Amino acid sequence: MLKKEDYFKPIDKRVQDSEFIALKPKSFAADVWERFRENKLSLFSLYLLLSIIIIAVSGPFLSPYPYDGMNSSMTNRMMSIQHWFGTDQLGRDLFTRSLYGLRISLLIGFISTFINVGLGMVYGGIAGYAGGKADMAMMRFVDIIYAVPSLLYIILLMLLFGSNVRSIMLGICISGWIGIARITRAQVITLKERDFSVAAYIQGASSFRILFRHLFVNALGPIIVEATLMVPQAIFMEAFLSFIGVGISAPEASLGTLAQDARMYLEIYPYQMIFPIAMLCLVIFSLNFISEGLGQALNPKDRR
Amino acid sequence: MNDISPLLSIRHLKKYFLAERNVFKVNSYVKAVDDVTFDIMPGETVGLVGESGCGKSTLARTVIRIYEPDEGDILYQGTNISHLSTREMIPYRKKIQMIFQDPYSSLNPRYTVGETIAEPMEIHNMYDRETRMEKVSSLLEQVGLKPDHISRYPYEFSGGQRQRIGIARTLALDPEFIICDEPISALDVSIQAQIINLLEKIQDEKKISYLFIAHDLAMVRHISHKIGVMYLGHLVEFGDAETVYNDPLHPYTKALMSSAPVPDPKTARKERRIEFRGEIPSPIHTPAGCPFSTRCPECRPECRIAPPVMAKQSGRRVACYKYV
Amino acid sequence: MSLLEIRNLWIEFRTPHGTIQAVRNINYSVENGEILGIVGESGSGKSVSMLAVLGLLASNSVIRSGEILFNGKNISPLSPEFKNRPDLYEKTMKDIRGNRISMVFQDPMSFLNPLLKIGTQITEGIICHTHCTKAAAKKQAIDLMKSVGIPAAEDRFDQYPFEFSGGMRQRIIIAIALSCNPELIIADEPTTALDVTVQAQIMDLLKKIADERNTAIIMITHNLGVVAKLCDRINIMYAGDIVETGTTDQIFYEPRHWYTRGLLESIGMNIGSGRVKLPSIPGTPPDLLNLNKGCAFMPRCSHAMNICRDYKPAVSQFNATQAARCWDYCKDRADEIVAQQDKEETLQ
Repeated sequence: MLKKEDYFKPIDKRVQDSEFIALKPKSFAADVWERFRENKLSLFSLYLLLSIIIIAVSGPFLSPYPYDGMNSSMTNRMMSIQHWFGTDQLGRDLFTRSLYGLRISLLIGFISTFINVGLGMVYGGIAGYAGGKADMAMMRFVDIIYAVPSLLYIILLMLLFGSNVRSIMLGICISGWIGIARITRAQVITLKERDFSVAAYIQGASSFRILFRHLFVNALGPIIVEATLMVPQAIFMEAFLSFIGVGISAPEASLGTLAQDARMYLEIYPYQMIFPIAMLCLVIFSLNFISEGLGQALNPKDRR
Repeated sequence: MNDISPLLSIRHLKKYFLAERNVFKVNSYVKAVDDVTFDIMPGETVGLVGESGCGKSTLARTVIRIYEPDEGDILYQGTNISHLSTREMIPYRKKIQMIFQDPYSSLNPRYTVGETIAEPMEIHNMYDRETRMEKVSSLLEQVGLKPDHISRYPYEFSGGQRQRIGIARTLALDPEFIICDEPISALDVSIQAQIINLLEKIQDEKKISYLFIAHDLAMVRHISHKIGVMYLGHLVEFGDAETVYNDPLHPYTKALMSSAPVPDPKTARKERRIEFRGEIPSPIHTPAGCPFSTRCPECRPECRIAPPVMAKQSGRRVACYKYV
Repeated sequence: MSLLEIRNLWIEFRTPHGTIQAVRNINYSVENGEILGIVGESGSGKSVSMLAVLGLLASNSVIRSGEILFNGKNISPLSPEFKNRPDLYEKTMKDIRGNRISMVFQDPMSFLNPLLKIGTQITEGIICHTHCTKAAAKKQAIDLMKSVGIPAAEDRFDQYPFEFSGGMRQRIIIAIALSCNPELIIADEPTTALDVTVQAQIMDLLKKIADERNTAIIMITHNLGVVAKLCDRINIMYAGDIVETGTTDQIFYEPRHWYTRGLLESIGMNIGSGRVKLPSIPGTPPDLLNLNKGCAFMPRCSHAMNICRDYKPAVSQFNATQAARCWDYCKDRADEIVAQQDKEETLQ
């Protein structure tokens, strides 16, 4: 309590100097995570996706059935305690097969995206940073590749190397990196004019350092958002190809091949198609919502 | 005093930018910097004023080799650095630094204050990690911040504080020459004086030269020893700061000085502003003669033919036919 | 009766980080034909009170209290007339904006539609408010363009904003602002983005308008040179409060509040030439989320006393026109003020 005789005495300088109550220093990642958490749908999707991944990875070990274990006495059975998703026309446990299929889908989705992001960032970064004629040449080259539908690339590769996971991944990667390259290039072009990039240049930083330490680091936002969208796109592409019959060959299973196998029996045993499709939908939806949440979390609008 | 050689000499510097590509191959250029010559002495501040489009920022960026000059020479301590390669420029990168206008974009938001200030030392492989951190702490104190700000991020600081961090960064390599590109324009009035005081203190202690670019004439006058006035890429007047400020010779300088709002009501009410007609001409199609000829109230026939050359007059240099 | 009178205006903003006290219980008035300057730095709230007058506050704003009397009529959204009738409020505001109170903002390019000819943009307001014919509006617009100093007005009527320089665009904005003969023009940093020489031209133009048309102008700026030349009276704002008010001469030659004094000294008001250290106000601009409980300027005040930390000073009126809110001038009323604020705190 302030005493009356002290009212008009000069104030202690230390009171004026007291440290401003700042927000706790938060790194970029922590801050993004906090904002991501505010979007309940995205958070839920993230947990859902993580659960799916855990089940997909560990499930087959826990399941008593091998994915290709045919059992002619148990064909086309409905869901039961022994067979949670039922069996297919060759008696194979559908739950196990679905999990295997999920594995393949996730593998293709994440690995191809990973490769695409790496390739795209480097290519787009160099083009954007170099500018001028080099940039123009690089982007025209990209336009030419982009002009051919990726389906064509994939089919060509399949003819050459056979219908397997590797061919599909390769096919997706031939033109998949282009979107990231364009985004990176656009970001780099803007960011290299920012004062902090110019400052690094003035201090004598090498182009490599400027690109990686200053430009890429700040360009990550839109790149991450695009990348999280590319994963479901790749997954869907594989599923689609398998469904129309040009994807993975038996006995390997993917969600698409499972759907294709079930097509003939759709009217009699609808469950055989519903489960793989449902899992596909869950994965794709959750990835899309995560992407949306990330987009909002990375948006520095309320930050100066 | 006259025997000391200049730290930086700019001789007939020209920087043009391509504006339009004509189908008949006659290209038109923006003459951002058009034949500028002046010196900066060690430990001296040269203020550069002029309105938008006059080329002062382009001049600054050309001097620090962000752009490469089209014609003319930049001499640093006698060595011509106008066309040195990136590798040859490295020793000069330590000596010449720059402070930027916008405190909100001059610091990389993803790195802490400590990392940002230490970066120049990292780039040049100076000291080991521990020494660097000590130096960073010391630099923070020198600019009036607390050493425990080292692990904070730029977003936690106000504009004035960020500008101090930027200044600390430029000091990391013990520079001899700092270009200040509108360092206080984006700051609150009460903070501007703090930063000016800081810059002056640093200059007194370390004998650093500044090229101080700004449009606030009062602040430029305070911090500068000499002032240069630019218009449409030309240097129209250059001399001792007080002289140019109080007794401008060039008609544009006179107009500029009289337009500047004076924070003193009695003076403001009395003053008759020097009017001049028209608008600033397009920088692509500059007038054939003196750049100010289209608007100068004292324009004469010879002004329209060729641009005047800088000549000595009353203790400074002026580019005007009145004083030839 | 004043043209515009603000009483007890209190505006908050709800943000994820907390509540910002943007304008804290301010009172002031503007008379017909006078030019009032509102000077403040970032966080002072100088623009916010104006936006409240025009009903242009952001959606996360809350007007906790306040009366806004325009020609005697309360146009605050909290008035009994508008309290639960946002539609009526909006309708009344639409009638006032651009018509009886118009605005000139800082960046002319974001105020002008780049896709429309400027002639269209000037006549738009005229036709909307006066319902005259297109031809009559065009004639009026061209006259306006001439009066604000746009050369070759007839030809330039059909040009687009990008064909004009910054200074010219600001003149167009002023022409639009004048188009319906407003009683009050609110100019928010109208010259900050302009070159010095252009700034001087625009200032002369505004002064001419105030003299010839008897239009009142509220000039919001942080540039003391501008207010010295243009304004009749000045309000100095800090952290959402008016810390001092007075005529221009009083503020510049007899400043009372320590912030005003510090501001004037830091721009070299009494410093001549030479390398004397510029007196400066220490510290950083106020953090509106964490204002000091008592006087908001206390952390930076060279004359702060103990009481300044815990209790807000009252307004002291020095004469008919000058007043300041500082403990240096209300020591004699300390007991009542302290008691009052203690009571208010226990009530909360």
